[in-house]
Formats: sequence, C-alpha cells, structure tokens
Amino acid sequence: MGIPPELRRLAIGSFLFLLVGIGGTIALPYITDNPGAAATTLSPEELRGRSIYKREGCWYCHTQQVRKPEANTGTVRLPGDIGPETIPADYAGQRPTFWGTERQGPDLSHTGSRQSVVWQREHLRDPQSTSPGSIMPSFGHLPADEIEALVAYLVTLK
Amino acid sequence: MGWAPPPGRNHSMTTIQRPSPSLLTTRPPAPSLPRADDSPPARWFFYSAIGWLMLNVVLGILLSIFLYTPAIQDAIPDTLRTQLNFGRLRPVHVSAGIFGWVSMAWAGAMLYITPRLLRTHLYSDRLAWLTLAVWNAAILGTVITLPLGYSQGREYAEIPWLFDLMLTACLAMLAVNIWGTIARRTERRIYVSVWLFAISSSVSVVVYAVGNKIWDPSGSYTGLNDAIIQYFYIHNLFNAWFTTAAFGIVYYLLPRLTGNPLFSHRLAMWGFTSVWTGQHHALWSPAPEWLELTSVAFSILAIIPNAALAYVFMMTMRGRWGTLRENLPLRWLSAGIVFYLFTCVQGIAQSFRTFSSYIHFTNWTIGHSHLAFVADYSFFAFALATYLLPRMFGRPLSARRVAEWHFWATFLSITAFMYVLWFIGIRQADGWADQVPFLQIVRDLKPLFFVRLLAGTALALSQFLFLYVVIRTVTGPRDQSEQPAPAIATVG
Repeated sequence: MGIPPELRRLAIGSFLFLLVGIGGTIALPYITDNPGAAATTLSPEELRGRSIYKREGCWYCHTQQVRKPEANTGTVRLPGDIGPETIPADYAGQRPTFWGTERQGPDLSHTGSRQSVVWQREHLRDPQSTSPGSIMPSFGHLPADEIEALVAYLVTLK
Repeated sequence: MGWAPPPGRNHSMTTIQRPSPSLLTTRPPAPSLPRADDSPPARWFFYSAIGWLMLNVVLGILLSIFLYTPAIQDAIPDTLRTQLNFGRLRPVHVSAGIFGWVSMAWAGAMLYITPRLLRTHLYSDRLAWLTLAVWNAAILGTVITLPLGYSQGREYAEIPWLFDLMLTACLAMLAVNIWGTIARRTERRIYVSVWLFAISSSVSVVVYAVGNKIWDPSGSYTGLNDAIIQYFYIHNLFNAWFTTAAFGIVYYLLPRLTGNPLFSHRLAMWGFTSVWTGQHHALWSPAPEWLELTSVAFSILAIIPNAALAYVFMMTMRGRWGTLRENLPLRWLSAGIVFYLFTCVQGIAQSFRTFSSYIHFTNWTIGHSHLAFVADYSFFAFALATYLLPRMFGRPLSARRVAEWHFWATFLSITAFMYVLWFIGIRQADGWADQVPFLQIVRDLKPLFFVRLLAGTALALSQFLFLYVVIRTVTGPRDQSEQPAPAIATVG
C-alpha cells in the first residue's frame, strides 16, 4: 500500500521541526555567541594534563561551572571560596568542555586559586592525606609524569 | 470517545479490507497470531539486550562499592588498577545500560511489533540481522575501549568514534527496515505505535550524529557550543529515541494486555510534540539566557503529550485494575507508566530555575536518571520481555513464581534506591546553601551512601532472577498442543 501521504507529511513536518530545534539550539548560539579570547592559553604539558583529566573521568564527580546564585557564596572549605561565576570566555577553545552534571567532589573552576602545586600533587596521590573522609579514589597508580601533567593542568584553573 | 467496533464485527482479513472511518480513530488490529509467533532477529535483539543488562548491573554493584569505600580500588592488582576504577567504569555502566540494554530492547520491539501491526513481513530480515551484529559489535567495542581510556569525555557521548559511526548506521538501518515495512503493508490503517517508531528511529539518526559529531574523530565541538550541543543531544536522545519509542511500546501493549480498545487513538497521537533544546539541564549556566528560557517553556509544554498518555492509560485501564494481580506484564507496564508520569513531574520541576539552582549537581540528579532508565524504560522492557518471549515460543512464561519475585524485588529496591538518592540530594543542597564545608557534608552522608549501596546491590541482584526466568522460558519444553498461546501468562 505504500507510505500514506499523512505519514509522509508527518515525517516531513517532524524533520522540519527538528531542523527548527537544531537551528534554535545549535546554529543560533553558534552564530551569535562570541566567547571572546581564552582567559588562559594552555601549554602542551597542561593540555596533556587536561586529556588525562578527560581520560580518567575526573569530570564525572567534579564540575567546572559556577552558577550565578552560588557565585562567591558557595563553599568548598571556606564560605564563598567556590569563586566567581564562570563566563563564556572561560570555556573558549575547550574541546570538550567539562561543565559536568554532579558534584561528588567540589567544583574545580577555581581550584588553582585555592590550592598549591604541592597540595594538588599530594591530594592526587593520597586524597585522605589532605582531605580526611574524602570519597575520591587515589590516583597514585598513574605514572609520575602523568601526575605532574595533571597537577600542571589543575593549577591553571583559576 | 473511544471508537468502539460495531457489534458482531470480527477481525478476519475480509472485514479489514473495508474502508475505515478514519486513519486516526481506529483501534489496533486485533492480534490474530498463530500458535508460536516468532521473529528470530527481534528475539536475538532481546537476548542481546538482556546480556548487556547483566553487564550493566554487575558494574552497578562495583561502582556503588567504589563510591562507598574508595580505598578498595587500591586493593586491585597493579595490572588492572588503571582500567578498573570509578572514572573508567562509570561510562561502561551507563553505555551498556542505555545503548545496550534499553536501546536494543527498543529495536527488538520495533522489529517485532511493526510488521504485526501492518499485517506484513518485515521489510528485510537480513538487514535486521546485520543491524543486530553491528549493534552488538559496537557495544562490545565500547565496553572494551572505555576502560582502556578512549573516552571522548562527554556524558552519554563517551563512545569512541568508530563505534559512534556503527551505532549511527544501526539506527539508520532500523529506520530503513521500519519505513520499508510500512511501504509493503497490507493493513490500511496505521496504528499510533507505527507512527512513533517510524519517526523515532529516523529522527534519532540525526540526533545521534549531531550530538556525537560523527564527522570528527574527537567527537567534540569547541567552547560554549560544545556544552550547548551536548545538552541538545542528551535531551533529545531521551525525547526522540527513548521516550518516543517508549510511547509506541506503551500504546501497543496497553490494549493487548487489558483487552480493552485504546481509549482514544487521536489523543495518543498527541505524543508527537516537543523535540527541542535540552538547555534546561544546565540552568544559570554561561549559555545565553534566551536559550535557557526557551527550553524551560518547552519543558512545561511537555505536559501535553504526558497528560495525554496519563489520560489514555487511566481510561484504557477502566475495569481492568483487578487483573494486575495475575497479569504480570500489565503490572510491569502500569508501574512503569506511573513511574514515568512521576519522572515528568520531577523533570518539569527540575527545569524551573529556582528549583534547579538548589538541586542541580546533587545526587538528586542521579536518582532522577535512575527513575527514567530503571523505573520507566526498564519496566517497559520487562513488560515486553514477559509478554513477547512467551508468544514467540507459544508457551506461558516459565518460573512464574521467580518472575513474581523479580517484580517485587526490583520494584522495592529501585524505590528505596531512588528515595535514598533524593534524600542525599536534598541534604547536599541544604548543606551547600548553608555554606557547610564540602568535605563535612561528604562525611555526614556516608551512612546514607551505605544504604544506597545496599539498595543498589539488591536491585542489581534482582536482575539475576529475571535472567533465570528468561533462560527457563527460552529453554523450556515446546508446547505440543494446538491451543493458541494464552495472551497472558497464568500461574502454574
């Protein structure tokens, strides 16, 4: 009996609606948003650290997004130390972005402003040493050079 | 309102030829099924789905333990320590669950249901077998490569490039099979489920391709746009694929399991709305404000198809609530629909900026995603399995008592699991709002994470009861009698 005209019309309609959705969601922001220049440009070592951050799935438990209502009031250790609201320029050039969806651990948008290189290294090797009671696993099994790259990346998050 | 058949009407092929009043006000053609009505490709889609479910639940237990006692990961031998840890295994749990278990059950359901509603054969069995093989290969490749560290680093889109291409091809092949079956149908009227399957399978190809940026091996866009497209993808993966197809499955099973005609086909057709942005998943974000507000408006509009589903469900169930006691597939379906409506209420609430600013990023979100995937989609998949597998073999469901245990164990453990996650979420949100140090909240919630571990483990172990029921049903003795298969598996 073939494909009935109603279904054909519906299919075309659905695809047009989908195109409108894609246009509104993807194309328009793509055209209109100028994220500006990157706040920080990463060195090859820092970029390597970032790819380790992606590979190990750090971003499942740590967000990199401070929202307006919690900006400068949210708390990691001291009241308000979550830092300022993140803006489009903070994400310029990132592939992919690590907004994240859950915080089993604290937001890391500004972790570089809170903690030193030494602290980050210790924390990655043995989270309990710096954060007793933390539920973060140790990353001491990673080769030393990967830990250093990861630390180099983390301290750029300011 | 419902279109009632004229008295004395039978559903033989001769009467089906007469012009129907309207394409949109018909009841589905009654099942005139032979004794054993099998469809091997569809059946193997179900077997594959159940296999991936088992991997998913085993990983679920493991991840739950890792989250409660992270130190246990250090006890893993050095050779496997790199691969077996929370960050590497979490995407395997999710991918096997959504693209293996639920998606393959959906594809199997589409391949089985579509030709039967259209009174014809599947367009191509060979294409269906090919789809099955490529799909399994893609999931197998995914569950091997993700622990090895090949994640693309985007949630629900971690799958490496090659397997992205394979899954896109699978969705496209599925769409071709469904549209091809429609083109060769002998049934004049097209039932709502077929409309939903046809649109869902084809629109999902675009959603998956765009969301995973399949023309780029890295799979990610750049900067803010990467995040915006990510949420478009996540949302429409649910909207266009999981939910649209689920509506088709619900509208197929409901009249069959209740014995009532679908209350209103016209109302059921309202399921086709709201494919739009997913920006409501990240409110107060750096994305443009107009985009967030548009997405909130569209979230509220989701009331329309979901209220239609609720009304059609309630009205079709009239006079049949008592049968829930005996009718296991209907009980799975009904519980799934009630949970689904709960998901919608919760989802719309979460899309308001006030509530979102409070609850977003907490464990509440994980409760919500398990509500959708376990209590809604998996319940529908259990309804499909307990209804279709016996029909495929022409005999009642085996190990009926174990199947009952599976229902109640799953129902109670998922309920406990979700409530503890929502409670943890509210406690976290409260602590964050009160400027309690982050680590203090983590320590305070430790006992609740243990409850979560217990409930999650119970939920995962319950699925082995399901595996047992399926194996017993599949390997049981063939029914030698000429009696038609009972529509509803009965006790005994």
